[in-house]
Amino acid sequence: MERIFGGVPKRALGLLGLMIASLIIAPAIVNAYVLSVILITLYFAYVGQAWNLMMGYAGQLSLGHTLYVGLGAYTSAALFVHFGISPLIGLFVGMAIAVAAGALIGSMAFRFGIGGVYFALLTIAFAEFTRILFEHFDWVGAMGGFFLPVENRDSSDFLNLRGGPVMFYYVILFLCFAALGVNQWLLRSRLGYYWMAIREDQEAAQAVGINTFRYKMIAVMISAAMTALGGVFIAFYYNNLFPADAFGMHRSIELILAPIIGGMGTLFGPILGAFILTPLGEGLTILMESMGVKAAGVKQLFYGVILLVIIRFVPGGVWPLISKKLGIDKRMKGKSE
Amino acid sequence: MTNKPTKGVSTPISRRTFAKGMAIGTAALASPFSIIGSANAAKPLKIGVLSPESGFFAREGQACRRGYELAGPMLADMGMPVEMMFADTESSADKARTAAEKLINEGAHILVGAFVSGHTMAIAQVAEQKGIPHIINIAAAPQITKQGYKYVFRNFATGPMLIKNGFGLIKDLFKATGTTPKTAVFMHVNDTFGKAMAGGVKALAPRMDLPFKIVETIAYDPKAKDLSVEIAKAKSTKADILLPASHGPDAIMMVREMVKQRWEPMGIMTPGAPGTYDQAFFKTLQRFSEYVMANVPWMDPNLDMTKTLASGFAKKYPKNMMELNVGFSFEATLIAADAYKRAGSSNPDQLAAALRETNITNHVMVGGPIQFNKEGQNVNIKSTTLQNLDRKPTVVLPAGSAEAKPVFPMPGWRDAKRK
Repeated sequence: MERIFGGVPKRALGLLGLMIASLIIAPAIVNAYVLSVILITLYFAYVGQAWNLMMGYAGQLSLGHTLYVGLGAYTSAALFVHFGISPLIGLFVGMAIAVAAGALIGSMAFRFGIGGVYFALLTIAFAEFTRILFEHFDWVGAMGGFFLPVENRDSSDFLNLRGGPVMFYYVILFLCFAALGVNQWLLRSRLGYYWMAIREDQEAAQAVGINTFRYKMIAVMISAAMTALGGVFIAFYYNNLFPADAFGMHRSIELILAPIIGGMGTLFGPILGAFILTPLGEGLTILMESMGVKAAGVKQLFYGVILLVIIRFVPGGVWPLISKKLGIDKRMKGKSE
Repeated sequence: MTNKPTKGVSTPISRRTFAKGMAIGTAALASPFSIIGSANAAKPLKIGVLSPESGFFAREGQACRRGYELAGPMLADMGMPVEMMFADTESSADKARTAAEKLINEGAHILVGAFVSGHTMAIAQVAEQKGIPHIINIAAAPQITKQGYKYVFRNFATGPMLIKNGFGLIKDLFKATGTTPKTAVFMHVNDTFGKAMAGGVKALAPRMDLPFKIVETIAYDPKAKDLSVEIAKAKSTKADILLPASHGPDAIMMVREMVKQRWEPMGIMTPGAPGTYDQAFFKTLQRFSEYVMANVPWMDPNLDMTKTLASGFAKKYPKNMMELNVGFSFEATLIAADAYKRAGSSNPDQLAAALRETNITNHVMVGGPIQFNKEGQNVNIKSTTLQNLDRKPTVVLPAGSAEAKPVFPMPGWRDAKRK
């Protein structure tokens, strides 16, 4: 616990505690619509943190990260549908498969010195060919989609992840803040220091004896496992999977927006980014309606412009700016900055 | 959400309006204490309409919206006023789910939508959890109505129904024209839709006792920019007819390539796919678009309600073509309004009970009365054979709904009949 909380300013801990407490009691006070918006926000905050671990801390740009979401989702769903295996067991299989895929991509890239944009292209290629593979994989419905049986239950069945939105809300809330704790713990470990050394200057890191291949591989594999867990969640929340949605490029982009807007390489950036982007999208919908603008696509236009403005004026993300204002910047950003 | 007349994007937005809108928007979103609106609200019935108006499925979603927008005044004229609450699913399942929650939260008594099976499934789950009826306008995945839902009703054919109806009409066509081809090539786009069609064709063709043999099945990439190899392969089989399962641009490419390679089979007829009756198909191919056939659900042109809908459509959307998305979207609201009228209440359980007893004989799409089986599926939906005649998709079968007689075999590409 010392590694997670030690040295974090009391104000930061207080604010975080307040946020978590508010989110815990949210289902009791907010309506179902607001709850569904927060739920999706927490999902993007969670997968954003998983991606941030690889790009923000270890400096490895993945633009095909939805590969791991899809693998986790399809594996756990297929085990549940075909063999009745609980997703609480299936998630480990899904994570293992995602880790294996990450290890394959990482070993191919890092062994042969593929980095930067070329590594990013490799991640896209893997996501794309996995999509094509699943489009022809009849065991999981191929292009026709894979559907999980849905039951309208009065009570939640946590073991099988069958239940209402409130159960899923608490699951993703736990995952989101557990990921924050894990990331903080990792960043304060030797591993975290190695990652940041690699991110800042790989050759210098190598020169001081860091096995860059090994530590980059670890970053990819941890990130893949965490992202796959997000996939398990999404499979059981939506109860249907389509290859184009699970592995599509647009999903990868959605996944990385929150950490980019919130602040890459910062602990809290992905969470803040998700809490900006998802409510922003919903807020714009309501705004357009209240102004009587019904032309399709106008909202997306405004959304894009706002993103451009954020990136133009706070290129390092919103969190560094806010944390400075709150006086908690140095510690909450982790040791990365 | 609004049912007010649309001001359009070009409406100047003053700073005050913007600020007011922003304040309302923020307050509405941020207000955590608003509770789910009572389903037993005052009249009229509030219909929450969900369509993909932007994003990947925007074209189809906007066509659906036209159907909904026409439904409002038409239903009012029929003594069944409804209030539409529109929501854009943005071609995303995430958004579809939150939009459904939002509509219910704002007091929608019933949900309608949402064109894409995955999005529809997400909405159906919300509807079922909340006990709010959901009428599916368009979505073909059979699994949606196999989940034991009590509040979900689909007025659209499932994938297997589309193919079965499509093949049935092909047989009727041969009977009606006295010409029976012996061989066929099935060409399909290799994506979600095309693969599902291929699966259906493979499973159903042997059981349908078809008079022709499918000698070759050719799949092509959805992003293909050229179909010369595929058409050459199809031509080499010397098949009598081509059965395509395409979307839009690929259907155009296919016919262009056939003209170029001078492959003139007896007919081109899709067993249940779109693409060959789109505006773009006519505009691009002109005389080569003629005589192509599609076996799809369609509006019955001889019905009075269809005539009223068509005239309203022509007036309101003179630049667009009325097609099945419009018809099914209109019918979804008709079903909702009819249930409300019979239930005499907007209570969701009473509405759902009334929906289960639906028996609408006067509607716009070809088929029997709108009735739902215990799974919530309308099993009376039929397909029509559309043939492109005079740059217009024209119903040629079934005979009871036909506007013209089918032309089969189709005239060659250089035939003078093609104008």
